[in-house]
Amino acid sequence: CSRLHNRPTISPTLLLSNMYQRPDMITPGVDAQGQPIDPHKIQEHFEDFYEDIFEELCKFGEIESLNVCDNLADHMIGNVYVQFKEEDHAAAALQALQGRFYNGRPIIADFSPVTDFREATCR
Amino acid sequence: RSRSKSKRISGFDMAPPASAMLAGAAAAAAAGQIPGTTTM
Repeated sequence: CSRLHNRPTISPTLLLSNMYQRPDMITPGVDAQGQPIDPHKIQEHFEDFYEDIFEELCKFGEIESLNVCDNLADHMIGNVYVQFKEEDHAAAALQALQGRFYNGRPIIADFSPVTDFREATCR
Repeated sequence: RSRSKSKRISGFDMAPPASAMLAGAAAAAAAGQIPGTTTM
């Protein structure tokens, strides 16, 4: 959905917009230079990213769940949802991420209203 | 995986080149989102 959702002032969940970039994001299975990529490489790249995020964010508190949108469609592309056990931890992490970079790209972090990913559909 | 964990550097705080930084900041300010550029 393309609606602008309300951003809660406090939430245990953070949204990091467009943070994950697949190596084959232009054409599936092919890198930016047009060379085919081994699917294992893509998986490894994803796991490295996931690990980076997890390691950085678990400093702020216990992570309940960590979701990365590994899609190629425009909608929610590369969005990372981090749900902490405590709202305070999410707030601390949000503050710590402000103005920082990941792989040369600015981190866009905000609270997200999502607290249950099974129910995370637009209403 | 057998790869040593400690050898890989985290992508956190990897700053972009100055020119990309300006473009990125401008785009972020304008749209609140980063367009799909390839910086990898």
